[in-house]
Amino acid sequence: MGRLLRPLVSWDTYRAFAYYVATVVLGSVALAVLIAGWTITLVLAITPLVVPLLIGLRFGVGALAGAEGGLARGLLDVNVSPQMESPAAGFWARGFAVLKDPTFWRQQAHLLLGWLIAIVALAPFSLGIQALAIPLYYDSVGGVDFGWRTVDTRGEALALVPVGLALIVVGIYLLAAWRKLSRGLARSLLAGDGGRIVRSPEETSARRLRALTITSLISTAIVVALVVIWALTGQGYFWPIWPLLGLSLVVGIPGWVILVLERREISRFTLGSQALAIQIGVSAVIFGFLVAIWAITTRGYFWPIWPAFGLALLAVGHAAVVYGRRQHRIERLERSRAGAVDVQESELRRIERDLHDGAQARLVALGMSLGMAEQALDSDPEAVRALLAEARRGAGEALEELRDLARGIRPPILTDRGLEPALTALTARSPLPVTLSVDLAERPPAAVETAAYFTVAESLANVIKHGRATRVDIGIRSQNGTLVAEIVDDGAGGADPQGPGLMGLRQRAEALEGTLQVTSPDGGPTTVRAVLPCRS
Amino acid sequence: MQVVIAEDLALLRDGLTRLLRDNGFDVVAAVSDGDALIHAVSTEQPDIAIVDIRLPPSFRDEGVRAALELRRRSPNTAILVVSQYVELTYATELLSDGQGGVGYLLKDRIMDVADFIDAVRRVAGGGTALDPEVVAQLFSGQKEGPLEELTPRELEVLGLMAEGRSNAAIAEQLVLTVGAVEKHIANILMKLRLPPSDTDHRRVLAVLAYLQGREDD
Repeated sequence: MGRLLRPLVSWDTYRAFAYYVATVVLGSVALAVLIAGWTITLVLAITPLVVPLLIGLRFGVGALAGAEGGLARGLLDVNVSPQMESPAAGFWARGFAVLKDPTFWRQQAHLLLGWLIAIVALAPFSLGIQALAIPLYYDSVGGVDFGWRTVDTRGEALALVPVGLALIVVGIYLLAAWRKLSRGLARSLLAGDGGRIVRSPEETSARRLRALTITSLISTAIVVALVVIWALTGQGYFWPIWPLLGLSLVVGIPGWVILVLERREISRFTLGSQALAIQIGVSAVIFGFLVAIWAITTRGYFWPIWPAFGLALLAVGHAAVVYGRRQHRIERLERSRAGAVDVQESELRRIERDLHDGAQARLVALGMSLGMAEQALDSDPEAVRALLAEARRGAGEALEELRDLARGIRPPILTDRGLEPALTALTARSPLPVTLSVDLAERPPAAVETAAYFTVAESLANVIKHGRATRVDIGIRSQNGTLVAEIVDDGAGGADPQGPGLMGLRQRAEALEGTLQVTSPDGGPTTVRAVLPCRS
Repeated sequence: MQVVIAEDLALLRDGLTRLLRDNGFDVVAAVSDGDALIHAVSTEQPDIAIVDIRLPPSFRDEGVRAALELRRRSPNTAILVVSQYVELTYATELLSDGQGGVGYLLKDRIMDVADFIDAVRRVAGGGTALDPEVVAQLFSGQKEGPLEELTPRELEVLGLMAEGRSNAAIAEQLVLTVGAVEKHIANILMKLRLPPSDTDHRRVLAVLAYLQGREDD
């Protein structure tokens, strides 16, 4: 009994009621903002004005979602705090960033769905209150018309009172269910990125295909049902064509988007840009939709040419942007590849010369000593002893040179243990006080490790050679899929970024599509900062 | 004296086996990876295991890991790690349990056969053999401090102490009398404020702790 009555006396019920009342108001405002905002934005989509409009819309949606988040926190006890991404750099990029921001879309979805749920949840209350009020006013309006009958006597009006009360009680019991739904909705649509579920690519692709299949099946079912209804209701004008057209958009646009995302080879025809492929396909679908409307309506003047013209203009603009970016990237890659080849070439030349002048020459000398010892074996045992000792020394020196050479290519401890132990060993050998902090999410690719190691080693050697520094701070950390290596000393500054050492480091970084920055004002301090992408 | 060898290159494995047999050691097993080493040591219970650092399957620091594992499982077997390169980090790890019977040498040192055999015997007998290269890495990491007060001769003696050599061996190497070496050592311990140690191994640990303690400043 207590369990049954709980919704009637629970404080949560009345807080949920307050939440829905507030949400109806807020949602109506949101609806007005979204309709007005998107209409203006779409009308001005081909002008540069679209960017500030999108940003404005983003802020509006963000503020409204923030208010809904506050309501949900205060009245539904869900811990959500809607967030906004920091805008990207560059004028157009900022506009695209808004469109690409998933939280933007999720917040809009919450504004609309939240509003709908609130209306449905409050419907029994508004109907119930109306029923309760009928005895008070039925007379003054000369009866209330319910369509199938009219309430115009006191008895009939009073009979509605228990109906009203029942509606309100049903509404209260239903509130618990609505509350649960709203909490889940707020959690999945308003929570920040922390609530985002990370899925494997296979799972994402399976989910996409499943969603598309379900959408297509439901749409087909609706169309079939409508056609059946049309056939049963005397046929005549084939009105189901309209919902059919609408649903073709509903299936066609996501279908094309999923196709492009799943089949990477499609974007080969659009300069490698999936976004451009999606835009062209969606434009084509919209154009087809408009042509279909033209075909089944007036058929006179071919007005779809104008939206087609606009869509084509947008696509051409987008293609130009993609092309420009691609050229820029190709140029940069060519430059850095040339640099990488140079670095490799000069490294190989150095290794070859070291081998030739060092270990190889020593092995030749060693062979000569052994040959002479063999000759002297019978005649002069004392000389043999001296020659063998010489041979052993030569072998030792050859080994030492080979070891130094190997260390210069890639230090063994870097291979064995990774970056942090290798840098710890390196800095332990430094005569200057060095602080080292390494904060890496995971082990970077070998090429990145090597580049980071030599950036630190070379910078540290530079500092020791002429920095007049008393301390060095080294920081290695992961940041947005890159490894950032920063070496700061308190020396006199004035380092030459064009010097051979730093130039070599820059080429090493650029070969990995990374960057190297050197700031070294006179008087110091000097900062060397390498940013190396870790994605393959 | 029974020896187990772990070295993946057949050329070096066979050479080392021959060299040790010629010098009167009993090589009871010569294996080529870490798992086989651990198995051989647990069945043969040798006096010493000579282990290469780079072993299959990963060719990274397998030998160091296997050596640390052996220290736990078979504390009665001494371990001499040999490698083409030396890292202070590995030396520190190998010495970290504070027990004697540990060595870490460059493979180059094998060429000086008499010295190498001496190191094997020393380690098998519970002593220490640290490569001069490791000691050099320790010294190169020194910032200013009491080390500057040492004379060049005392620095030489300190280096040999850190390698794990006995007073007699230090005297022979530097062409001094044992008495002179003892005097130098007393001076060094006083200047660095280190306590006198009863065994050569304790002495190594004290010197290493001192040198490494300085690094963290």
